[in-house]
Amino acid sequence: MKSSPRHWALLVPAQSLLVLVLFVPALYVFWLSLTRSTYGKSPVWAGLANYAAVLSDPYFWTATLNTAIVVNAVVFGEFLFALAVAMLFAGWIPWRRLMIALVLAPYAISEVVAVVVWKFMMEPYTGPVTLALKALGLSPLDWAVEPSHGLAMVILLSIWHHLPFTFIILYTALLGIPKELYEAAQVDGAGAWARFRDITLPLLVPAMLVAVVFRYIFAFRIFSEVWLLTGGGPARSTEVLAVYLYRQAFRYAEFGAAAATGWLMLIASLLMGSWYIHQMYKRMFVDASR
Amino acid sequence: MRRASRTLGRRRLRQGAVHALRMLALAAVLVWSAFPILLMVTASLRPPRDVFSTSLDFFTKASTQNYVNLWKRWPDFFHNLGNSLVIALGATALTLVLSFLAGYVYSRRDGKLLTASAFFMILVRLLPPIVLTLPLFPAVNWLLLNDTRSVLVLLYCAFFLSLGTWIMKAFIDQLPRELDEASAIDGASLAQTLWLIVLPLSHAGLIATSVFIMVFAWNDFLFAFIFTAVDAKTAPLVISEMVGAVDGVDWGILFAAATLQLVPILAFVWLAQKYLIAGLAAGTVKG
Repeated sequence: MKSSPRHWALLVPAQSLLVLVLFVPALYVFWLSLTRSTYGKSPVWAGLANYAAVLSDPYFWTATLNTAIVVNAVVFGEFLFALAVAMLFAGWIPWRRLMIALVLAPYAISEVVAVVVWKFMMEPYTGPVTLALKALGLSPLDWAVEPSHGLAMVILLSIWHHLPFTFIILYTALLGIPKELYEAAQVDGAGAWARFRDITLPLLVPAMLVAVVFRYIFAFRIFSEVWLLTGGGPARSTEVLAVYLYRQAFRYAEFGAAAATGWLMLIASLLMGSWYIHQMYKRMFVDASR
Repeated sequence: MRRASRTLGRRRLRQGAVHALRMLALAAVLVWSAFPILLMVTASLRPPRDVFSTSLDFFTKASTQNYVNLWKRWPDFFHNLGNSLVIALGATALTLVLSFLAGYVYSRRDGKLLTASAFFMILVRLLPPIVLTLPLFPAVNWLLLNDTRSVLVLLYCAFFLSLGTWIMKAFIDQLPRELDEASAIDGASLAQTLWLIVLPLSHAGLIATSVFIMVFAWNDFLFAFIFTAVDAKTAPLVISEMVGAVDGVDWGILFAAATLQLVPILAFVWLAQKYLIAGLAAGTVKG
């Protein structure tokens, strides 16, 4: 049904908040990225100089590489783990509601408390997990000193924190697959692996794509975990892009360079979300008018 | 006969082994997800010098000393918890009102322009928050909103409005259109229809939306870190200060504060579990 002015009025509060708080600032960042500015000085036109400066800064590339490693490890590690857990939960489980509640628990935890919990467990001399690893003859993570261990800790923590999200998406999609398909396949003599490959996997693809795309977009924003765990150190070796941007803006007051980093991040986000945007566009404009 | 019973026995054995493996995997998943939280909560209830102990004497030696120390050393923490609560409730209320109204329109009306505005809502969801803090910081200062609870309410609402609208639309889609048409024929105004018919029937969507915004607003670190300084500081920000304390970390106090911050929201998520699951499906997969 066509909308009337009354209906548009209902949209005004929501849309104006989005325009004022998200859209206009995003455009402003673009303008800022083309100027040179710092505290107390009005911006001066700089063309693409900020982009050139950022792209020739070795710390930017360290941050980009770290972000790429962390995001890919988190998204795919989490995806495989969540898929396994969802398959497990699709079968018989005692006290299902309680078990799901326990798996969901990390979802409710703040980034700060997640960092506290993991720091506690992995504390170099006294942490329970450190001691357990030592007792098993394994070497614990030296996350406060060794940059690669610091990133590994960020990855573990992120997978732990966001497993519930991916798990729920895959689990609800699994429950949506009709039971008859499996029964029919069993009658036809298909083994467990064949049933997984020919029924579960293809029917799960849409949900899998949504889970992975959403997690890419959100994992790419990672800030607090790194900031609170390593602070980007030692010697800026564990910075991710959001931490790099924060330092540029709020520590060095290089607003132009920070804005250029910001626009590069924004473009990367849109690219990661392009499949989802395309799907939504098709569903909203093409399918709807058919 | 004997052979038949032997294959039957073997099959039982195999089923038993598979079952045992599945339960083992379940135990491993539970240890991974819930054990770290349990470990920290119980540690907060140990005597201060035993917080790193893992012995089971916890049940006999439980102590509230860490909480008393928290009260003495960081008396402001309880004020900050209060801030978190006010901000989370404010952001939730605002998001519910705005996304209910918008979700209703997107559910019931269509048209090119309306679809375009819905598409815009999806697009802005992709903007990384840290990028937007850059221009928002001077704007917030200029409006004298820095270090106020209102600015966090507005920001949290803006960042979850799109998801909220989507969830509300998906839930209102499930209500038959005849309901509001009948109410309109009976002479009810649009406001009356919304308030008396649609709102009560969409309570599941409202709860689902409130879980997401509540969890986000109660837990956020980034925006509180950038936009608050003294008065409006939230609990997560103060906990982060405890982690980075110059005079060394007092783990007992830290665990007490972290436990107080996490228990209410965990309880809320558990109570609203059903709605959380439905809302996640509505907000992502269904679009």
